[in-house]
Amino acid sequence: MKNNNITNTIKTNHTDNNGQALVLLKDIKKVFFTDDVETHAINDINLIINKGEYLSITGPSGCGKSTLLSLLGLLDTSSSGSYTLAGHDVSDLNRDERSAIRNKEIGFIFQAFNLISDLTVAENVELPLTYRSDINSEQRAKMVKSALEKVDMLHRAHHFPSQLSGGQQQRVAVARAISAKPAIILADEPTGNLDSKNAQIVMALLDQLHQEGATICMVTHDPRSAARAERMIEVFDGKIVADQRTETPTAIAV
Amino acid sequence: MSITLDIKYAARLLHKKPVFTALTIFIVAIGLGLTLYTYSLLSNLVFKPLLLNKDTPIISIEAEFNQSHLFRIGIDPHDLLTIRNEMDSIDELGVYQERTSLIGNTQNNSVTRKYNSVNIEWNVFDFAGVKPIMGRGLKAEDHFEGAEPVIVLGYDIWQHYFMAEEDIVGSVVLADAIPTRVVGIMPQGFAFPMTAQAWLPIKQELLSPTDWSRDGLFAYARLKKEVPFEVFQQELALLNKKVVKSLPDNVRWRMDDFEGYLRAVPYKKANITQFYSIFITMAVVVLLILLLACINVGNLLLARVNERFKEVAIRVALGVPRNRLILQMLLESIFICTVGGFLSVLIAGWGLELSNTVFEQMYMATEQKPFWWQVSLDADAILLLIASVIAMIAITGFIPAWRALSGDFNAVLRDGTRGSQGKKAARASQILVISEILLSCVVLVIATILLSTSYSAGQADYGVDTNNRITATIELPVVDYPIREEGEFELADTLKRTAFYYQLKDSLEQMPNIEGVAFMSQLPGTGAGASYFEIEGRVAAVYNENPYSNNEVVSRDAWQAIGMRVIQGRDFSLDDISAEVDTIIINESISNDFFPDGDAIGQRVRRAFRNPDPDREGGWQTIVGVVSDTYHGSAMRTSSEQYSSYFMLDHIGYSSIDVAIHYNGSQAEAEKSLQHAINQVNNNATVYNIQSYDELISQPMILVSAISKVFLLCGVIAVFLAASGIYAVAANSISQRTQEIGVRRALGASDSKVMQLFMKKALWQLIIGLSIGITLSLWVVNQMTDTMVINQASYLVGLIAIPLLIIIIVLVATYVPTRKVVLMEPSDALHHD
Repeated sequence: MKNNNITNTIKTNHTDNNGQALVLLKDIKKVFFTDDVETHAINDINLIINKGEYLSITGPSGCGKSTLLSLLGLLDTSSSGSYTLAGHDVSDLNRDERSAIRNKEIGFIFQAFNLISDLTVAENVELPLTYRSDINSEQRAKMVKSALEKVDMLHRAHHFPSQLSGGQQQRVAVARAISAKPAIILADEPTGNLDSKNAQIVMALLDQLHQEGATICMVTHDPRSAARAERMIEVFDGKIVADQRTETPTAIAV
Repeated sequence: MSITLDIKYAARLLHKKPVFTALTIFIVAIGLGLTLYTYSLLSNLVFKPLLLNKDTPIISIEAEFNQSHLFRIGIDPHDLLTIRNEMDSIDELGVYQERTSLIGNTQNNSVTRKYNSVNIEWNVFDFAGVKPIMGRGLKAEDHFEGAEPVIVLGYDIWQHYFMAEEDIVGSVVLADAIPTRVVGIMPQGFAFPMTAQAWLPIKQELLSPTDWSRDGLFAYARLKKEVPFEVFQQELALLNKKVVKSLPDNVRWRMDDFEGYLRAVPYKKANITQFYSIFITMAVVVLLILLLACINVGNLLLARVNERFKEVAIRVALGVPRNRLILQMLLESIFICTVGGFLSVLIAGWGLELSNTVFEQMYMATEQKPFWWQVSLDADAILLLIASVIAMIAITGFIPAWRALSGDFNAVLRDGTRGSQGKKAARASQILVISEILLSCVVLVIATILLSTSYSAGQADYGVDTNNRITATIELPVVDYPIREEGEFELADTLKRTAFYYQLKDSLEQMPNIEGVAFMSQLPGTGAGASYFEIEGRVAAVYNENPYSNNEVVSRDAWQAIGMRVIQGRDFSLDDISAEVDTIIINESISNDFFPDGDAIGQRVRRAFRNPDPDREGGWQTIVGVVSDTYHGSAMRTSSEQYSSYFMLDHIGYSSIDVAIHYNGSQAEAEKSLQHAINQVNNNATVYNIQSYDELISQPMILVSAISKVFLLCGVIAVFLAASGIYAVAANSISQRTQEIGVRRALGASDSKVMQLFMKKALWQLIIGLSIGITLSLWVVNQMTDTMVINQASYLVGLIAIPLLIIIIVLVATYVPTRKVVLMEPSDALHHD
């Protein structure tokens, strides 16, 4: 493992790899105002994520890593700075434009799975596809089947989330994230609610997706999970304080 | 942890949210207040049986109600005797005839005054279980022919007319100019059978008649204890068939078109037959309001539980026993419903006071207010309140308690969020919204239709000019103006009575402040008799397929005085009195519909009978004039026929008749002129019910319009409850789904997609709620049509405007909270707590 000892804010310590930059954050700030208190959750962050990269974001609680992930996922807007995703400036998009980008380009995996309890497994996976007008129902069915096959959950397609274990629910969440073949998968503590066995299964799934070419950005507390990524970013007080590349990700060693 | 701590905690929570607390208490108070008010009103006026010091209810036996003009009809004395002789189920029975009497003092020749009196069977006071405070009641021998005329006076006459003379009993007073001995004074407040202020013995010939007659009597009765009222009604229905069959042709008019004649009704109900359906509707509407209030409060408390879900989860984690948790959830309901219950007593009390004022106003001119029409909160009402409060606590506390018990606390504690809304909770929310839509739809449609109908009735054109017109009823003293049916006297008596009216008319019209005078059996705007009539050459095969018209008796030269016009032909004239041809005047509608070529004058019509003599040839009346249309009876009913026929007063000469006077100057002066003129012609004649024409017309509408106002209040409350309730349910349901919305947004759903999702659901709820609500409303409204005729415009307003209003309320109530959540950043929605 190669360590970069960084004391100051890292500007952009990864370069655009021959125009392969998928995500380009420049001078991103996020400030929250509560009553008279001004909280700088993200402070002048610059970051490049290249296509096909597997990135983990770590840091202590409250350091701003989830906020960073929300900004990356266009779930929230930055207070200042610019954000380019797949060559498009997405900093100043309106709500619906951001929705459309999220739908096509971003896949989410949440710690609490966030499956909709009243929809079946297949319907949950299909959900993001139903928001697109360019995919017909036949295509949707194929994509759902393929995504569920990938996570080995096709046999539970007609079950409801409440009938599944936590690990199974998270596998469905992964299927939902990949069903629309997004440009980047954002995972927020994907193993946070799972036991070690299920955590292992989910992490293996992410590894597999990465090997198939997916770009993954994962927020995690767990150093072992973080070590499976090829690149680790450490956030502290809203700033990136370390950005290092793991030469031999753990997953391969396992 | 003691229970006191739970109570303190509940109190602290209520104190912390004063708006919530005030709102829920207000809703409870309104719901319970309306219930309490309606219960007290209906119980006093309709449902609580009239017992009068005994334990078996009093019933009324009378003829079928006249739906056409909304009045009760008596039974032939002959048929009442049959009932008395043949029905073993009856324990006690007495008969009476309500009337008015002119009471006067023989000593000082003072002015007589009209009082409500009753010719009644001697057993009335025993029947009512009330003894006179002075003297005696009536005796069986008082009925006998040749017996000294006697009278029992009411307390008010004694106190106010006779100035509480101590030696009144035994003295002789004038009753309709007949010297009559006062034999007793009844206690204050006693007015049985209904509004009686004086009791006179009924004629023996009416108690034991040998043949049918034109008289009509009402009977009060108590059944034997072991006989249920329904059984008696069945027995009476059987007897009715027998009696109807035995009716001679000349009295077959007594039965209605369905061969109905004899009926028994609970005594109080008999008096409000025309309003019964409205009262029942009112009870239904108020119950719906109470249900709506319960759902609202329950829902507000449910929203509170959702807010407190984490706290509940912690309690569960700490091992709170199930019962304790339920109690914790119930405590707030107990406080809210109890305080609301206390406030409801004030609301109901205020409403009842107001109702008493309306009743006074309603019967001010006629003094016909039944003695039990004094409404107040009684012990039964308070018991009902206590039961309602307990039921309300159970209903409103159950919903949040159920939610508190059915939550996934593990998930809540694990995720630190409230968890997504479960299927059951989602279904419960949908049912709540659909119930709110349905209930508010029913209440609002009924309230609107009733209001709209009563408003249009109030605005109805009666075809008369009511400006500067007073009306009154004039009654001639029988002593001076006898009614003898023997051929030789009949005509002379008629002419004498008629002469009085025309002398009065001349006398009045000579006064400078009087423009004109009209006498009519019943003035337009009030009801009278109606019958089928045949047109010569066009007689229908069956008598009741002939047209139906109001029949009024009218004086000569009357039309202008009430703003009517002779359109074709002429008015009645003196020549018509002695002419060999009977004359009649018809109204414009008859002329237009049956003589469209304008050839009505000279045509002949006559009254149609159910079983006419097959060889009947006579009875034709020649049309001499056509007058403008008027509206007889209350505008609440269109069965007050559009056709009217007018007969000449000179041929009939009623002993009591309505008068309308067109005056200039002040109303008070006109009233004085009337009284003065009457005294000039015959000071024994009495005039009463003096009021403006507008008051006369509005009188039948007072109760309906007062009830309409209650419905309006219900409607306003329903709108408020529906709007706030649906908003609260929608807001609560959407708040429960905030995280789901966050997920959908995270997955790329646009604002409009998420909005559509919720709006579509709201639309489905609207479709279901409104479909059931409108169907139910139509059914309820249909039940009211035997009391009033609902006009088309009312249906349009009720069935289009109200659903539209509810659609707007529901869509806004869904849009606002959904928009609020949708506008949240998905990251916030995902972590919403």
